[in-house]
Amino acid sequence: MTRRDLLRLGFLAVITAPFAALFRKREETGTGYFWQIDPDKCVQCGKCETECILPQSAVKCVHQYASCGYCLFCSGYYQDKRIDFNTAGENMRCPTDAIIRTYVEDPYFEYKIDEERCIGCGKCVKGCLSFGNGSLFLQVRRDLCKNCNECRIAKACPADAFVRVPADHPYIYRKPPEVKS
Amino acid sequence: MTLPVLFAAQARFPAPEFESYTLPKMSLEELASDSVLWRVLLLAMFLAAGTWFFYKLRSRKALLAYSVAGLAVFGFLFASCPCPVGMFQNIAEGLANGSYIQPGVLILFALPLGVALFAGRVFCGGACPLGAIQELLHWKSVFIPRPLDRILRLIPVLLLLIFSVCAIYRIGFPLCYLEPYLPIFLLDFATPFAILSAVFLAAGLFISRPFCRYVCPYGVLLRFFSYFSLLKPQITSHECVNCRLCEQGCPNGAILPPEGTGSTSEHRSGFRRISMLTALIPFALFAGGLFGYFCAPVLSSFHRDVRLVRELDAGIKSEAVEAFESTTTTREELRARAIKLQNGVLLASTAAGVLFGAVVMAELIAEARRRKEEEVYTIDPSLCFCCGRCYAACPLERKEKHHEK
Repeated sequence: MTRRDLLRLGFLAVITAPFAALFRKREETGTGYFWQIDPDKCVQCGKCETECILPQSAVKCVHQYASCGYCLFCSGYYQDKRIDFNTAGENMRCPTDAIIRTYVEDPYFEYKIDEERCIGCGKCVKGCLSFGNGSLFLQVRRDLCKNCNECRIAKACPADAFVRVPADHPYIYRKPPEVKS
Repeated sequence: MTLPVLFAAQARFPAPEFESYTLPKMSLEELASDSVLWRVLLLAMFLAAGTWFFYKLRSRKALLAYSVAGLAVFGFLFASCPCPVGMFQNIAEGLANGSYIQPGVLILFALPLGVALFAGRVFCGGACPLGAIQELLHWKSVFIPRPLDRILRLIPVLLLLIFSVCAIYRIGFPLCYLEPYLPIFLLDFATPFAILSAVFLAAGLFISRPFCRYVCPYGVLLRFFSYFSLLKPQITSHECVNCRLCEQGCPNGAILPPEGTGSTSEHRSGFRRISMLTALIPFALFAGGLFGYFCAPVLSSFHRDVRLVRELDAGIKSEAVEAFESTTTTREELRARAIKLQNGVLLASTAAGVLFGAVVMAELIAEARRRKEEEVYTIDPSLCFCCGRCYAACPLERKEKHHEK
């Protein structure tokens, strides 16, 4: 085979490729390039904190204010085995004190994630989900994520919650849990 | 404000109606720039510059600068990932499953191959961050004996086939997962991966380009394409005095010694060897197929579904099992999916094994065949990494440089 033959073959392949693509079965899932967590599948195992190749995980907790109940006793903020409702370390859920609580109106409080401090361990997410609305969830921050071709967290995720999304649907939000009546 | 109302209808604690408080914006909406276009542009520029350095300037120093720039830009600035080396997995996955392949990814993958068709492996020379780091962190060359080199060179072919099967059946992208230089580029030294990096870096001090020559599956494609390269590198434009310095100077074994006419007895033994190898082809294909057949269970055991079924059957209470039990998928569905996958992998792996047998035989026959008669030392463009060491080693070239001054 000479160079010319190879070029001819390559040219033919390029010509036929679009036609071949037409007859190929289409698959819609898993198409895209940016890593995101499907919050409905996430089980808050804590692997996001440890498995990311970056020294500081690209996964952070995100607060969806629209579904927050602004509770006075936030189960994402306080621990289950708290001694008292104050900001002493043994009462707090967050290991890095990354949840900032501010007073809004009586009896409502706003909870904000300090992303400098958040390590993506998902403890608050689990807490919020256990008793509250589930307005906190873990998500891959696109400004931090390096978009590794093979995401190490995705590889370690026990719930298969990591998906690749296309650029025009860049984020996945959480659906709030339904009321158990 | 339809969103809060919609959520309030479902939430356990309805969202309060505030008097003078507006909901803050969610912190998620920060778009990361997609660097793929920049990568494509820079890669094109790098390849053009590399071709110029290697074929026109013929300067080892310029090519070293090319490596340094490639390492800085593609290694550290763009964090190396995704690089053209790992992209064959995305392409294989996309082609086989019909999932969308980004145009940028396709161009990044095809550009070095297209250039290889015209100018050989200039991509490996320094535009590839993995090649660049190996080029720069090389101290003393230990020559690998030719037969061992030929055997080790089959590893990339095997890896190309195995990793393609893994990508097609969504077992994962093992090359990207195990890529030894990625922890260095991302400055992350977590233990199991950093050990691999250290091993490859230490080996690279003495063996020139251990990853490029004996691991890189993309290199197999580049080798194939650069075999047909339009531009052939020439060690010197002067009359070669056959001093062997270039052959000793090339740590990658890419320089071929002169080939004589050979005696009649040599011809006869060569003919006998080739006919014997040709007769062995069916056996090699069968052996390859058998090898692939027995590899398949190992490959499919890395798939998530198969692993989950095994854990469920064994009654292990792992996190994955707990996560699975909280979903609505039944065990039967999972089992059916896993069995379908295992059958697919079995077929693909056997086919890959047959293909590997064919490649082994092709290499053996190519090795047994006599080359075209040649009186001087020549460069094999399919093995040359465009480092320019032979230009620096050739005494005629050095004399010319000296003369110009």
